[in-house]
Amino acid sequence: MIELQDALRKKEIWAIGGGKGGIGKSLITGNIGISLARLKKKVLLVDADLGGANLHTTLGIGVPEMTLSDFLNRRVETIQDVIIKTSIPNLSLISGAQDFLDAANPNFAQKTRLLRHLETLEADYILLDLGAGTSFNILDFFLFSDHGILVVLPEPTAIENAYRFIKSAFYRRFKKVVANQNIKDVIDAAMDQKNTMGIRTPYDLIERVKTMEKEVGEILELEVNKFRPKLVVNQVRTKNDIQIGFSMRSACQKYFGINLEYLGYVEYDDCVWQSIRSKRPLSVEYPYSRPARCIERIVHNLLRKEQLTLSVLY
Amino acid sequence: MKKIEDLTYYELLEVAPNATAQEIHRAYERVRRIYEPNSIALYSLFTPEETAAIHQRIEDAYRTLVYEDNRKKYDAKLRGAVELPEPAAPSHQRYYEPPSPSPQRPMPRSLPEPAAPHPADVPQPEPQPPVRHEEVTPVAPFIGEYTGPAIRALRELRGLSLSTVANQTKVSSRYLESIEEETFQKLPARTYTRGFLMLYAKALGCDPERFASDYLRRFDAATKPLKAK
Repeated sequence: MIELQDALRKKEIWAIGGGKGGIGKSLITGNIGISLARLKKKVLLVDADLGGANLHTTLGIGVPEMTLSDFLNRRVETIQDVIIKTSIPNLSLISGAQDFLDAANPNFAQKTRLLRHLETLEADYILLDLGAGTSFNILDFFLFSDHGILVVLPEPTAIENAYRFIKSAFYRRFKKVVANQNIKDVIDAAMDQKNTMGIRTPYDLIERVKTMEKEVGEILELEVNKFRPKLVVNQVRTKNDIQIGFSMRSACQKYFGINLEYLGYVEYDDCVWQSIRSKRPLSVEYPYSRPARCIERIVHNLLRKEQLTLSVLY
Repeated sequence: MKKIEDLTYYELLEVAPNATAQEIHRAYERVRRIYEPNSIALYSLFTPEETAAIHQRIEDAYRTLVYEDNRKKYDAKLRGAVELPEPAAPSHQRYYEPPSPSPQRPMPRSLPEPAAPHPADVPQPEPQPPVRHEEVTPVAPFIGEYTGPAIRALRELRGLSLSTVANQTKVSSRYLESIEEETFQKLPARTYTRGFLMLYAKALGCDPERFASDYLRRFDAATKPLKAK
């Protein structure tokens, strides 16, 4: 009875992605989880980066017995069977697979089953560590979450991937809310920057759709307004690096018409790679370090639904 | 959702329509930096040409909004949602033509010319004298040296009084006057003077670094001998 009530309690799902690999998604996901757990929230971390699973390593947990792919392949029936309790109170983990190639690409049925089971779990927060890239699964998990968080490094490659991710995500969203096949085709074609329809920006796409079916175009505009990804800049060393978050926020608004919220930044510090090398969680090994405190501030902002304002720079 | 080219100047600078001049100035500084040519944060989003176009538009936005008259006219245009200024206000039309066809050439040496003819030829629809703002936007790059008299000339060309600039920059008008008159001994220590110069430059829409360094060269030349070792 208590379990049922618990399951019905509102839980939030946060997804952490970023397009580019190796930028610190797993590290940040794990340590956000630790921060929340310390606030006495029940947290479940899910390493959805099948084929590239690192979350367990950033938490200092050895290669686990049962993983997500066991669930996806029905080697076990319920998701509870793959949940691992960590040594940190309130924090549990579903690890990504040490698995075969095809398990890294769950199909639609497997994905739906996963999401359905996740919904039944008792937790205050479920954190999904998405993999790198912009595959449909990653985009869908990102769109499905209550808060989608993008991580970037202050480097052009990471930034480029982030924009690609944003574009892919909401074009995918567009396709989901549109029934008309012709319009879906237009959206698909628009994803190709060199399309022959002269569609360069999302604005162009929406205008084009409006000419085909005005109401659908307006629905797409609403979707754009609803889409509110969050941004974290990792490995920050200078004020200019911090500024990147604000710049991206501005550029997203002007180019996509999307509200990218600047959640915070994580400062670069040697203790980060040291903790990874020693396979110990950052927030446990170096709790007073700057990166650890940056992550706490990020969690604080998310819980309060706040984002950074420019006053941090002046 | 709008095309970038269709954003109003306020939207472009990310300020509210009722922002103060100071807020506009700060917003301009901030947004201008974001859309700098090699801005890493825009990488892959805009082509270099697009970034340059946005950057230029930001400059235009600033020039329009930071000067009272320009801003008022712009606001009126927005309210009327008219396409372009020329057809809307026929009285303006006239003085786009007669003044020097290329007013944007370096003016410092023979300064009195641009100032003199206007108030005489042109009927004044509005009570205030600095009607010659019309020709001034967009502001051209100033190619001469930033001497005291040149600075004064620039200020007058913008139709700004010392007290307006003082209000905007929060630098006392006495110092501004001393800068223009090159009465260096009345100016404070170099660091402060430099700060004032940068503020003054920004108020006039000039490149602060050049403005300050040109002027400080003269300042140093004049004040050094007094500090004989």
